[in-house]
Amino acid sequence: MGKKKPEMSQVYSHSKNEFIFGENGGKGKHLSSFLKNLSLTSSSSSLQSSTNSNVSTNDYNDINSNIYGSLSYGNSKVGSTSSNPNGIIDNGHRIIPNQRSLSVGASFSHVNAATPPPPPPNERSNTSPYSHTHSHNTGSSLLLKGPRRSHSTTRYADNDDDWDAGLEEVSKNLKIVENKNLSRVANMSDSINLQPSPVLDSLYPDLMIPISSGSAPVRSRSNSPQYKGRTSKESLDDEDYQIKLEINRLNQLNTKYSKFRRILTSDNNINLNELRKISWNGIPNELRAISWQLLLGYLPTNKTRQSSTLKRKRQEYIEGIAGVITIDFENDNTNNNGTSGNISSNLGSNNSATSLANNNRDKQIYHQINIDVKRTHPNIKLYSYPEIQTSLRKILYLWAVRHPASGYVQGINDLVTPFFQIFLGNYLWQLQRTVFGENETKLEDLQLFIPGLLDSENKDEKEQSLINDPNLLHYTIDNIDPSLISSRVYSIIEADTYWCLSRLLENITDNYIHQQPGIIRQVSELKNLISKMDLELLNHLDNEGVEFIQFSFRWMNCLLMRELSVGLIIRMWDTYLSETPLGFNNFHVYVCAAFLIKFSNDLKERDFQEILLFLQNPPTTYWKEKDIELMLSEAFIWQSLYKNASAHLK
Amino acid sequence: MSFPNPATSVKLVLLGEAAVGKSSLVLRFVSNDFQENKEPTIGAAFLTQKCTIGSKVIKYEIWDTAGQERFASLAPMYYRNAQAAIVVYDVTKPASFIRARHWVKELHEQASKDITIALVGNKYDLVEQDSPEDEENNMRKVSVEEGQNLADEEGILFFESSAKSGYNVNDIFIGIGSKIPESKVASSAPGGQGSSNTEGRIDLTSNAANNNRSGGGECAC
Repeated sequence: MGKKKPEMSQVYSHSKNEFIFGENGGKGKHLSSFLKNLSLTSSSSSLQSSTNSNVSTNDYNDINSNIYGSLSYGNSKVGSTSSNPNGIIDNGHRIIPNQRSLSVGASFSHVNAATPPPPPPNERSNTSPYSHTHSHNTGSSLLLKGPRRSHSTTRYADNDDDWDAGLEEVSKNLKIVENKNLSRVANMSDSINLQPSPVLDSLYPDLMIPISSGSAPVRSRSNSPQYKGRTSKESLDDEDYQIKLEINRLNQLNTKYSKFRRILTSDNNINLNELRKISWNGIPNELRAISWQLLLGYLPTNKTRQSSTLKRKRQEYIEGIAGVITIDFENDNTNNNGTSGNISSNLGSNNSATSLANNNRDKQIYHQINIDVKRTHPNIKLYSYPEIQTSLRKILYLWAVRHPASGYVQGINDLVTPFFQIFLGNYLWQLQRTVFGENETKLEDLQLFIPGLLDSENKDEKEQSLINDPNLLHYTIDNIDPSLISSRVYSIIEADTYWCLSRLLENITDNYIHQQPGIIRQVSELKNLISKMDLELLNHLDNEGVEFIQFSFRWMNCLLMRELSVGLIIRMWDTYLSETPLGFNNFHVYVCAAFLIKFSNDLKERDFQEILLFLQNPPTTYWKEKDIELMLSEAFIWQSLYKNASAHLK
Repeated sequence: MSFPNPATSVKLVLLGEAAVGKSSLVLRFVSNDFQENKEPTIGAAFLTQKCTIGSKVIKYEIWDTAGQERFASLAPMYYRNAQAAIVVYDVTKPASFIRARHWVKELHEQASKDITIALVGNKYDLVEQDSPEDEENNMRKVSVEEGQNLADEEGILFFESSAKSGYNVNDIFIGIGSKIPESKVASSAPGGQGSSNTEGRIDLTSNAANNNRSGGGECAC
């Protein structure tokens, strides 16, 4: 039962960066994708404070319910769930005690029964190069740890060869169950370890368990064609394993980057669906700016139109700033603490005819923005620089006066920052790449650059100094002195940020208009979701007199930016931007539900005050990207389950 | 830490224009701390602090609301069952004083009839350096008299304070605690803790653990 078992032979298809398992190919691809992605979840085990991974009883029913949580196990039992939303779990426990393989399929069938036709990124499922046959008798024992729903963890020994029978059956009929979806299904479980020594694999390096985090060796299946057998029962040599782990990590980073690079450079017309599909699981830092702009529809997918479109948009922004605004943005009003007497003087010397019209309202808006920019991310150094604050004021003010129905609302100042710092970081990367990049890739690099950001005429003196700066390679947004960057660059970054922010906010305009009906709706949807996902928690909150609006208003108003670090938010937006429609509205509610349920056990032990204090300052300080990715996966599952089912479950 | 009387809970709400220092006042009261550029409050923040006034121990359950006008529709939810309210303005900003006037009016119309209200002119530290001769360049834009007059008209408490320096901050909460009628506190106790509406209940168990979660111990008063 070794890792070198012959039937586990694999072919690594280099051109496609995919593995092909077995000789038969094709069949069972979904399951192997599933298994492959199960491992993504294991990385979270060490972080799930509320669950215990050492229990091991032999009860696969529990496993079923643990893995699939609130999914229904009865085949086509949608009807039953509709009549009894709380019965979902019960179904899992009672209906199919002896049909474990079927239960997997059945669960998926339910997912799909509740899932609309797949979004574009998923359409490749049938034509995808994934082609594996899962080895049936690997004797894998899975140690499964359920979501918060169940405290117990159970050991799942499946030694027969019907593992994927049900799944294959189902997958024939269901086109949606495709690699990505399955990976999200898989992520429903908190942890899955292959026994006896957990052998884990992951396509995504950032999902790997850090070497130091567990005593048990954890091995990643990389793109190495040498890799054999992922369900080995043999303990791996620790040292060997760690070396491989590091190599794999680098390989995977490289692979991921290459995939993005291929999508962004292979064709004159960038395939947005492909980009969405791959971005859902996270975008490499270097390519995030261009990917975001593409996903938002700001940067055209047709490369011949990119330069001209951006040029026009940036010009529009500059005219907007020049025309609408008669404010001296450089003056941050610091010394007088925003007394009203000084606001008017702050509106600039041109305070005569034109600006007096909407003067009063605009004055108030500017005043509010001015106050808030100073206290935006007070703990991040970048945002304390006057150059950066000036840019934020401009962007926010122009957006506010152009959207009078909402105007400026606190919280939007938070939403502007991910764009701004990603685009600023991208500028530094472009410079670095230009100076230090390898010659043979330089031409292709140009296709990865957002057009127009670098000065093609070499007239930008500050840019020239930066290019000649010996420290250029070490600059990041965390250590750059913003005064080294020219106003030409700032106006481009501002314009790009402005348009991208506008695109984002288009999805949630209701959140910021009078009485904020969008947020009220989202809060009530969140409550509704929790009633289906964790009724016990809902009842506890009710009994303690905690109202959802008391803690989740901010989650909606600031898109969890107050609860999670900017770095994590940026990772989250990779996924939000890959959802269709964009995930900032509806999908976000599912993310909030997943977020709340993470703390379910903690909350159930607390009273009214403790709950509120806890949720105001949730323990996310040490969260890593993989925690976010687990949460996003859970959110995806729940969205698949409930998106179109909510009406009759109410 | 033994007190003769169990703590009585008082639900208190802070209202006032954006950036006048509501959150900073609470932070000073609860944690004796000050942060220069505190992030704007969204929705509302919840904090607790115990306060001993003579023989009386009051546990404040504080709802610190967001100041921006857009969030104002949430305010009734927070002042509905409040026994006390602090309406804050910035002594260097006349507009914030106008807003404070509106809040006092709204509280008298909408909130519980015997709510105890304090009007607070914050950022006193900014006007300490003002000189009487040079009124043009003075930071102060709302005089003490204006504040006192409004308070007298409305029959409410009045303070000027500085969350930054700590000046008068505890006095506000002591003042409110002294003014809250005993009968009111007593009558605000619901039948028991089992009720779904725990707002305004008296915490008969006087759970010290709750107190420590808020980051501060007893207040100095």
